[in-house]
Amino acid sequence: MSRDSAAPEVRIRDLTVVYKTPAGELPAVSRVSLTLTPGTITGVVGESGSGKSTLALSLLNAVQPPGRIAAGSVEIDGLGDVLRLDGEDLRRTRGRKVGYVFQAAQNSLNPLKTIGKQLLDLGRSHDVEDLRALVADAKALLGRMGLDGARVLDSHQHELSGGMRQRVGIMLALVLNAQVVVLDEPTTALDMITQSTILRIIREVHEERALTTLVITHDVGAVAEVADDLAVMYGGRVVEHGPIAEVLGTPRHPYTQGLIRAIPRLSGDISLARALPGRPPTLGTLPAAGCVFRERCEKRMEICETVEPATATYDGRSVACHAAGRPAPVKRREYA
Amino acid sequence: MITGTAITKTFKQRGNVLGKREVPALRGVDFAIEKGGAVSFIGESGCGKTTLGRIIAGLETYDSGEIVIDGVAMSGLSHRHRQPYFRRIQLIHQDPYSALNPTRTIHQTLEAPLRLRARQTGRPRSWVDARAEELLALVGIDPGYVLPRYPHQLSGGMRQRVVIARALTMDPDVLVADEAVSMIDVSLRLGILSLLRDLRERLGVSVLFITHDIATARYIGDEGELYVIYRGQVVERGLTETIIADPVHPYTQSLLSAIPVLHGLERPGAEQVVPTEALDEAQADGGCLFTRRCPFSTARCETERPVLGHDGGESGEDTEQLHACFHPRRRSVIPQGVHV
Repeated sequence: MSRDSAAPEVRIRDLTVVYKTPAGELPAVSRVSLTLTPGTITGVVGESGSGKSTLALSLLNAVQPPGRIAAGSVEIDGLGDVLRLDGEDLRRTRGRKVGYVFQAAQNSLNPLKTIGKQLLDLGRSHDVEDLRALVADAKALLGRMGLDGARVLDSHQHELSGGMRQRVGIMLALVLNAQVVVLDEPTTALDMITQSTILRIIREVHEERALTTLVITHDVGAVAEVADDLAVMYGGRVVEHGPIAEVLGTPRHPYTQGLIRAIPRLSGDISLARALPGRPPTLGTLPAAGCVFRERCEKRMEICETVEPATATYDGRSVACHAAGRPAPVKRREYA
Repeated sequence: MITGTAITKTFKQRGNVLGKREVPALRGVDFAIEKGGAVSFIGESGCGKTTLGRIIAGLETYDSGEIVIDGVAMSGLSHRHRQPYFRRIQLIHQDPYSALNPTRTIHQTLEAPLRLRARQTGRPRSWVDARAEELLALVGIDPGYVLPRYPHQLSGGMRQRVVIARALTMDPDVLVADEAVSMIDVSLRLGILSLLRDLRERLGVSVLFITHDIATARYIGDEGELYVIYRGQVVERGLTETIIADPVHPYTQSLLSAIPVLHGLERPGAEQVVPTEALDEAQADGGCLFTRRCPFSTARCETERPVLGHDGGESGEDTEQLHACFHPRRRSVIPQGVHV
């Protein structure tokens, strides 16, 4: 098997995805531009309704009705614009080029078939000629992740623990040598120790196979452990994006600042931690004009009511906030 | 005050060709919940923490041991006489999306238990509505907005507050919160945690907090006590702050080592502990329950099971907290803040 060793770049440009509701078509993702640097892990964090899952599905051009990709492009090196693919071309792309790891908790495996049978189905649907080699690859991958490959392939999903299922999901996403991998909430519903194992595996496999990886999660902690870059989503927008140490260390957007302050930590003064006021917006409660975060923002100004902030670059990361030019980093002593 | 002594519980699974399988969920657990106190149970799924919580809430039976509530031993009472005691211990469910009846408004949800409460305490019917509003205000939501609404019209954080308000209708002495924030959006979690803390301070309610996320246990208030449970045994017990800062049991250290580090804000602990194997429920029960996964296991651990105590063992370090380990040793495992 041959594999192009250079990881592809992914360029999302002005992506808008709308959902049809009784109140008309409302944007779940609104003019999002995001570049995934080849060979890096990008984490996307957001709360419920932030549009992070819709963004992830767009990478596979898999947004289902009542959703619709209304505008924009998703360019992947060697593939072109994924949003222009359809029918057979699109089906071949999924799995072969772009691997998707679903939430372990969602039971994305077929309960009636062994993992091995599902692997063969996958191989046949992608016209893999040498199925023996595919099985050997799968066993090697599972072995790499600390599992007994032969035993796992003979198992049904109910015989596997949550952490094992998650590793099976990663194997199925990678076995066809996809080079772009999307992981949707890879550690949700896993125990702490299992979570830490899975995160380590994601990092190692990512490096060994030269992938471009996107991790979607609501858990800043989980993504902080593995990602190189962090994109913070709120109300369908990417509000801050940059190298993880900078975004977490000196967050510029008031939402990022508030989110970091709200994470329960093992050290530091607990009286300084506090929840963000208000609640995350839903499709129906998103303001039509102005900044989507202003309702919960402690820095809101007059201009936030009417003008949506443009994305600007400040010391190596992009921020969409009218107040970002005046930095107020999270105070260090909170974590000392 | 509630105390439990040597509580055991074994689940029997239905037989197959190999015969019945018995799964010990609790292997002789002692606990004490003081009035107004905060006790946290932590451990991996399947460790028995939820079973223990359900036993304390009176929703599950136990095989042996004794639970004493305010000086009255529960084993001597009939089911009917036990009920009033357990009514004062209310469970807050993990999932605020399924804990509320979707066909009832919040008003209806709160009205039913409050009517019962009014009958029990000889209060007039008019008290019910006033009390519903009072409770919703207490949990930090606007009664005028919430009362006429159905659960699907509320956010996860609001629903969880309604669930807490419903638990409060019975004027409980103890709230049992089983993973009460794991399904809440991150930006709102602290709000629920500080509400629980607030209820302790304002109403003198005790909180029993069951979680796999140790960090959240710090936020339910001062003087909280932490129980680290592994395969049905308490392996470390003491003040929450002491155990997080100075854990001595290798299992506690593994749990704390597994917590993600916020790069840019923190750096990992210097002596992180990683278990040598994954959890296998079926493994032999000889010696120490953690020995197969423990990087520091010795011959003694294979044959003898340590009991909870302050004994410094061979390492000679006497500890403030109780632990069940022959080789307790402090290790620096939690992430440390980065100073600039």
